[in-house]
Amino acid sequence: MEFEQLLALRQFSLPQADKEAQLTPLLNGLTAWHRERCPEYARLLEVIYPGYFEAQRVAEVPFLPVGLFKTHRLKSIPEEEVFKTLTSSGTTGQQVSQIVLDRETARRQTAALSRIMTHVLGPDRLPMILIESASLVQDRRRFSARAAGVLGMATFGRQHFYALDEQMQLDGEGLRAFLDKFGGGPFLIFGFTFMVWQYFYSRLAGTGLDLSNGILIHSGGWKKLQELSITNAEFRRRLADEFGLTRVYNFYGMVEQVGSVYLEGEDGFLYPPNFADVIIRDPLTFAEQPIGQPGLIQVVSVLPLSYPGHSILTEDLGVVDGIDTSICGRSGKRFSVIGRVPKAELRGCSDVHAVQAATAPPAGIEART
Amino acid sequence: MTVQQVVPAVESVSLEAALDRVVASPSLAPFADEVIGFCADFSRAIFKDSEAAHYPELQALAFWMRKAELVRLRDAFLEERRAGALLAPQGVAFHIPPANVDTIFVYSWLLSVLAGNRNVVRLSHRVSPQTEILCRLFNAVLQSAPALASSTLMLRYGHEREITEAISARADIRVIWGGDASVNAIRAIPLPPHARELTFPDRYSFAVLRASSYLEAADRRPIAEQFFNDTFWFDQMACSSPRLVFWEGSADGAATASADFLNLLQQHAIRKQYETTPATRMARFTFACAEAMGAAASSYQDFGQFAVLGLDRYDQLTRDHCGGGLLFQYRIAALEELLPFVSRRDQTLTYFGFDRSELAAFAARLNGRGLDRLVPVGQALNFNRFWDGNDLLLSFLRYVYIA
Repeated sequence: MEFEQLLALRQFSLPQADKEAQLTPLLNGLTAWHRERCPEYARLLEVIYPGYFEAQRVAEVPFLPVGLFKTHRLKSIPEEEVFKTLTSSGTTGQQVSQIVLDRETARRQTAALSRIMTHVLGPDRLPMILIESASLVQDRRRFSARAAGVLGMATFGRQHFYALDEQMQLDGEGLRAFLDKFGGGPFLIFGFTFMVWQYFYSRLAGTGLDLSNGILIHSGGWKKLQELSITNAEFRRRLADEFGLTRVYNFYGMVEQVGSVYLEGEDGFLYPPNFADVIIRDPLTFAEQPIGQPGLIQVVSVLPLSYPGHSILTEDLGVVDGIDTSICGRSGKRFSVIGRVPKAELRGCSDVHAVQAATAPPAGIEART
Repeated sequence: MTVQQVVPAVESVSLEAALDRVVASPSLAPFADEVIGFCADFSRAIFKDSEAAHYPELQALAFWMRKAELVRLRDAFLEERRAGALLAPQGVAFHIPPANVDTIFVYSWLLSVLAGNRNVVRLSHRVSPQTEILCRLFNAVLQSAPALASSTLMLRYGHEREITEAISARADIRVIWGGDASVNAIRAIPLPPHARELTFPDRYSFAVLRASSYLEAADRRPIAEQFFNDTFWFDQMACSSPRLVFWEGSADGAATASADFLNLLQQHAIRKQYETTPATRMARFTFACAEAMGAAASSYQDFGQFAVLGLDRYDQLTRDHCGGGLLFQYRIAALEELLPFVSRRDQTLTYFGFDRSELAAFAARLNGRGLDRLVPVGQALNFNRFWDGNDLLLSFLRYVYIA
């Protein structure tokens, strides 16, 4: 089955054995594709994976550490075919990932994201609330990866209402007007997890607001909510109790594999789409972990043609909670993201300033969109 | 300006008043009995402390500061006396140790105070148990050494330029540890015209092992164990820890020796339960991949606690390094092949199987182009007065010529 067929198939529908059988040859094809077109990648395979020929299983596909995309602009296309370069957001001084796209890879990403989102949104664009300030996407001088993420999601909605002002104050009047007009039918809410909590939920809790026709899609990581001891289950429960908002979908994704979005099911677990998968690896040996054992998340995706990013070992920690045992009708692996690998505490007489830069807090909610 | 004082007592103090106090107190004579007594007491206090017992680097420090060692240093000092000249302290020394090695501030302070200097030490906000223990014991011992209490000031602050400026303006010698960026940042802050500066920038270190001697050794395990200590005590981040291993010998001999050595090293790392953090492990893998792409490395072996990148050539080596147990490996036919390799950035060569005379000849041919220390395997981290090409003891002193 080719990528287009995997895309056309109902998402989250492939049992793990079928998925393995479908993805393995496609990923092998991509390894060969990039090996031929990206000399650095070919050299890496030769040195780090000597004698590597072909994967028999998805877990055998060679992986690149995500950090390489911060130091190297890897591409499998000639420069004149570069359509755009995506960069991750990061705090000042932090190196950012550079992901080179050609038109075809960009098209695949867009098509893939659309297939995943329409799985829970339906085919029509819905009226949309964005838990953001309109200025985020208006100010082109400060156009960030976060803004790009917001704009990407905005394509799945219409009648966009930006619920916050520049001071992160909620526009209550505007919200009421939006709900008066659209609250009776399905509508979409999008925001970064922490912002949804801090600037939306926390301001509106206790007001008896009815969001029962809403579908919330959120992303961005749990770091800040963990500090407040808010788990995903608690997040979902509170939104349901306060606003009747029960259709809540978190997603996990990264700039290094845009379009490969791992969307939460109704059961609160994340699911890989048909054309992607996750493998959890022991953080010290990189051996594949059994179900229930947390480790580093490796992401594989058949989307990337323009850069060798079809198999990436991330610095995120996660756990596969089960395989083909979903209670919400999805197949394959269900997993959870636990957080980032804690920063290394470097010792020795290395550079004091460099150490401080290396241990600077991550960009927080913006970092992994 | 108010600053956080850590020594002689933990309290908030006025920076100006604290500096006035140190500057106004008299310098002691080099190797004054009071100083030697204090250092010996401090050493004993570390040995006796139950908390300090958990940290081998504190034990090493205490050992280095014990009475017998101090007397040896005093004898070395006496040898430096010259007819017609008097050895005197520099005056006020300002020490800026690295934030991440907990004992360097004591070594830096120690050589300076033995020379008779008054000392101001900047401690970073990164509070470690080791630093806490040292400051606690330091203050306790200081109770019975009033002359030292008045001439010692340790402050905890971040990167506030005004504080570094104010201290620098009163300093006669400034000592900057902690790498290129620190040295460059702090060097921009003026010193009085007469003041001297000692800087300790980023360095690179490697080992040279003679394959035939290694294979002939009756017991090879201690060699691997010594190398392990050199390399892994500070997660390979100490500037004197080897990052690259040169095998000197024939291709066959080097391959046999290397396989045996790496196997013993791995066994020892397992025995020692040496563990890196996932972040360090990830950084190491990322670094190895980047080196593989960059054409510097031609083979990769992951031993778990450490990994080895084989080189086909060394002329493209950048000397960047990730630490955390990554070793480059390269074979040379003879030691002199390293002559074109050595650069000013190279600090420590740890060796096995070479005569001192061979190394002396090698160093003479290098003629200062690089390498400040050539020491046997196992001594990479041994600190002494000769460091980075300086005689630290003499650097903290000056000659007063009397005709």
